[in-house]
Amino acid sequence: MSSQLNLISMLRRSLVHRRARSFSALLAMTISAAVATALLTLYADLDAKLHREFRSFGANVVITSAAQGDKALAPGTLERVQTAVGPEAIAAQFAFAVATTDRGTPVVVAGTDFDAVRRLNSWWQVDTWPAATDANAALLGQRAAQFIGDEHAVQLSFADRPLTLHGTGRIRTGADEDSRIYMPIAAFTAWTGAQPSLIEVQIPGGAAKVEAAISSLRQQLPGLKVEPVRQLVEGEDRIVDKTHALMYGAVVLIALTVAVSVLATLSASVLERRRDFALMKALGGSQPQLMAMFLLEAMVLALAGVGVGFVIGSAAALTISQLNFHTATLPRLSVLPLVFLLNILIAALAALFPVRVLRSLQPAALLKGE
Amino acid sequence: MFLRLLMESFRRQRRRKLLAGVAILLGTTAVTAMLALATTIGDHIHSELAVYGANIVVYPEADQLDVKIGGVDVKPASGGAYLKESALKKLRGIFWANNITGVSPELPIRLIGKTAAGNAIDASATGMWFGHALSSGGGPAMVTGAPALHPLWKVSGEWPKEAETNFAAAEIALGSSLASQLGLRVGDTIQTMPTTTSGQQMTLRVTGIVTTGDAIDDQILLPLNAAQAIAGTPDAVRRVEVSARTKPEDAFARKDPDSLSPKSREVWYCSPYANSIAYQIREAIPGARAEQVRRVEQSEGNVLKRISGLMWLISAAAMLAAGFAVSAAMATAILERQGEIGLMRSLGASKGAIAMLFYAETGLLSLFAGGLGYLAGSGLAAWLGARIFGGGEHLSISSALNPVLFPVIVALALIVAIAGSTPAIRRALAMEPSAILRSDA
Repeated sequence: MSSQLNLISMLRRSLVHRRARSFSALLAMTISAAVATALLTLYADLDAKLHREFRSFGANVVITSAAQGDKALAPGTLERVQTAVGPEAIAAQFAFAVATTDRGTPVVVAGTDFDAVRRLNSWWQVDTWPAATDANAALLGQRAAQFIGDEHAVQLSFADRPLTLHGTGRIRTGADEDSRIYMPIAAFTAWTGAQPSLIEVQIPGGAAKVEAAISSLRQQLPGLKVEPVRQLVEGEDRIVDKTHALMYGAVVLIALTVAVSVLATLSASVLERRRDFALMKALGGSQPQLMAMFLLEAMVLALAGVGVGFVIGSAAALTISQLNFHTATLPRLSVLPLVFLLNILIAALAALFPVRVLRSLQPAALLKGE
Repeated sequence: MFLRLLMESFRRQRRRKLLAGVAILLGTTAVTAMLALATTIGDHIHSELAVYGANIVVYPEADQLDVKIGGVDVKPASGGAYLKESALKKLRGIFWANNITGVSPELPIRLIGKTAAGNAIDASATGMWFGHALSSGGGPAMVTGAPALHPLWKVSGEWPKEAETNFAAAEIALGSSLASQLGLRVGDTIQTMPTTTSGQQMTLRVTGIVTTGDAIDDQILLPLNAAQAIAGTPDAVRRVEVSARTKPEDAFARKDPDSLSPKSREVWYCSPYANSIAYQIREAIPGARAEQVRRVEQSEGNVLKRISGLMWLISAAAMLAAGFAVSAAMATAILERQGEIGLMRSLGASKGAIAMLFYAETGLLSLFAGGLGYLAGSGLAAWLGARIFGGGEHLSISSALNPVLFPVIVALALIVAIAGSTPAIRRALAMEPSAILRSDA
């Protein structure tokens, strides 16, 4: 009982009395904990964040009819697809027909839902998206627009049925869309009678998620051809994996740097206390007792470091991900045990590292000042 | 005297110097490696993103409208405008020519003929390069073509060789669906009929079966020179795909260069934006229109910005952490030597002289350890880059060492070490020498 009291009061005195030393040790432990927390938090969240960025590539699954000849999808297919893939995924349907412009040029007209397309294909550069209420709105591809007399009153004809669309602007994509005219699907079907023949779906997450969604779609909706956009799915996984590996290397590198520097600082401050050590030994302290004393001190500092460092590190992770990904990375309690373990390990090493030096000391010689 | 003190200090206090030196070494290693990775990440990611295909497409200004649904030409255009294949070598002469990593011209044609077994063929075919040496007179040629721009195309057999094309025969590759539909295999031949009056009749030998997962699976791929001969349109190209290393688009990139002041126009022109490269292509090839493929370019830019942003932020964090660690180690190293300071003061050394000595020690140490850390960090970055991104790049010393980083790293090491030791030196100098000596003795 009394020896324990002794230990605690010794610890308290040692920490309070050498305030500057204790503070610099605490600072070192805090830094190592903060760095570990920040990197681990970011690392744990990295894949999800990167996959989110890949959503800007648009659809990664294309659904068409498997039937020969008739390419139209059955009514209600879009709803069934959306149910099958869940609310996280974005799906948009398209119907196509070849109409003639007022200048007599054949042009592909596509019917679609502008709201869904806007969310799905964020890379489309569009002057003004049409209002959802405008039933006869049209977006003109930048090349198609050159074959049209009046871009505000676009006159088209399909199988001798004329239609005047109200063009709201041009779209520029650098691909097939440039040569097409897009209009709302309801007006399109009423005009041409053509049903949607293509559904584009974007499944968030990597290749595994896409594969799972595809197989569930194939199972639930037989009669449809469900194909992944291979280069998108594979490319996404490659990039995410490589960035992941890069981050892993960075995390190990930085953690190692900080750990070794902290270790150096801490063990120097232990070595410095040779005189305390000698005095305690001269007063009858046994080697294990003294080591326990040093170890305990290091542990208390490490623990305090973890507490403060976790808060600072979480804040740093939050700032970094806010700056870079524009979304928050919330503090993760799950990294705490690992951070704690790392810090304790560093502290223990720092306390035990100088043991060999201390053991060989002759208290009398040291106290005499040699 | 000063020099001797300095030298003796390094010779006698090896352990202490080693400790501070190791801290600086590790700190600079980490920072160098992170910075080197952050500066080269753009190239790495660009080559990874090559699977998405070209980010710039060039077609004739006076072209007809494509009538394509799902990659299939509903009303194949007859005639229409062409670009000149011979003009493509001008791409190697534009300002950002070195950023162009791939060029793939295309000439879609209709191919009518029959197989050796007598089955009739009427399929769409595309003439393209498969490994064409594109050079602009001087300088090394760039070997490029469609397979380089589409790494996911899988061929069983061989890509056709354009050198094998002569006036009566050529090699071709068949799309997998078309091949199974026609029952053709590698080694079989097709006899074509000329589709236009100036076209040639040719014997085509299948050298490979291609699987792409898109409309190409239903097509015949043949060397551009063979397609031109069959269609009777020498030197003609309908469309060119260009893959270029670009800088992600920002507000400035979207400006119309002709509306800018001459000075800003210069800056715009000399930035590797997709828009400015497209602009230079339009200048180089008369009658051409070049557009960025937004799905690839915008999304690539987006992903690239995020990943390199992450790397820079992590580098900044590494710098901060290394800075703290180094200054803590320096402070400890000085604090340990209070006794020495007290002794020097009591022997009559001025505060300035002592501070000078300590700063000189710190400076020497950070120069040395910082230099070593730069080498170690550069090596580490090169190794990590090669391990993770791999891909043919052979490690060479000149590519691993970034000379710009060296002064930056050493200066950083100096600043951090000096800043870290300043408070400790000041505190030690502020103490009464007699107090230090008494408490220590």
